[in-house]
Amino acid sequence: TGGHTTEILRLLSCLSESYSPRHYIFADSDEMSEAKIRSFEQKRAETFSNSQFTLDRIPRSREVRQSWTSSVVTTLYSILYSLPLTYKLKPDLVLCNGPGTCVPVCISALLLGLLGIKRAIIVYVESICRVETLSLSGKILYYFSDYFIVQWPALKEKYPKSVYLGRIV
Amino acid sequence: FRFKESLAEDLRRADLVISHAGAGSCLETLEKGKPLVVVINEKLMNNHQLELAKQLHRDGHVLYCNCSTLVETLQSMDLSTLKPFPPGQPEKFALFLDKVVGFQ
Repeated sequence: TGGHTTEILRLLSCLSESYSPRHYIFADSDEMSEAKIRSFEQKRAETFSNSQFTLDRIPRSREVRQSWTSSVVTTLYSILYSLPLTYKLKPDLVLCNGPGTCVPVCISALLLGLLGIKRAIIVYVESICRVETLSLSGKILYYFSDYFIVQWPALKEKYPKSVYLGRIV
Repeated sequence: FRFKESLAEDLRRADLVISHAGAGSCLETLEKGKPLVVVINEKLMNNHQLELAKQLHRDGHVLYCNCSTLVETLQSMDLSTLKPFPPGQPEKFALFLDKVVGFQ
């Protein structure tokens, strides 16, 4: 969604063409992200020939401030949906930055790894908006990601297993 | 105006921006090098949205007030005290990721 998409596209801006094909997954309720992604990829195609990407939508796991119990149900539903998608894509690398959408996808990728089907590297970058506290996605994925990147020193102190590279968006 | 696709043009022409504490608004403004006064409405906002505004204020990049102190802030502000906001460095992320996945 919105700010997350802008941030993640900035993260991608300096990646080499080895990071291809790129599979974007976002919430079905998200109207603006598709346009931003297409615009980014179009610009990229001007520099790199043979630029490949796909777009997929999954049900939104959780609305802002949705209650705990109903969040568990909607997240489970999103996992059921993202599991076959992740299986189809079999990513080598999962990069995410915090929208609720990333939790079911990461869980699916973890399951695929546990089942011996495909082991992906999971990299989580917490939003630049998070200076002192982690988002809910961050709190969950801090334990399940391979690399957890924060953008402010206070978070590095609170979460010692995280990686601090300074501001990267 | 609420749903304008991009404020880039308006930002470019502005001498001063007065904004809510949304991260996107703050960062977009600071990146264009415009002085920014952030107005906080604690009643409306998620606490976490304040984190970034507070940090930007601590680092001297923005001025900061609430609705009731806005006029006073505008009257007494000294914009020369604001420090420029350096851009983020996604190239550092790219370097890190290359090492992690083994492209070097």
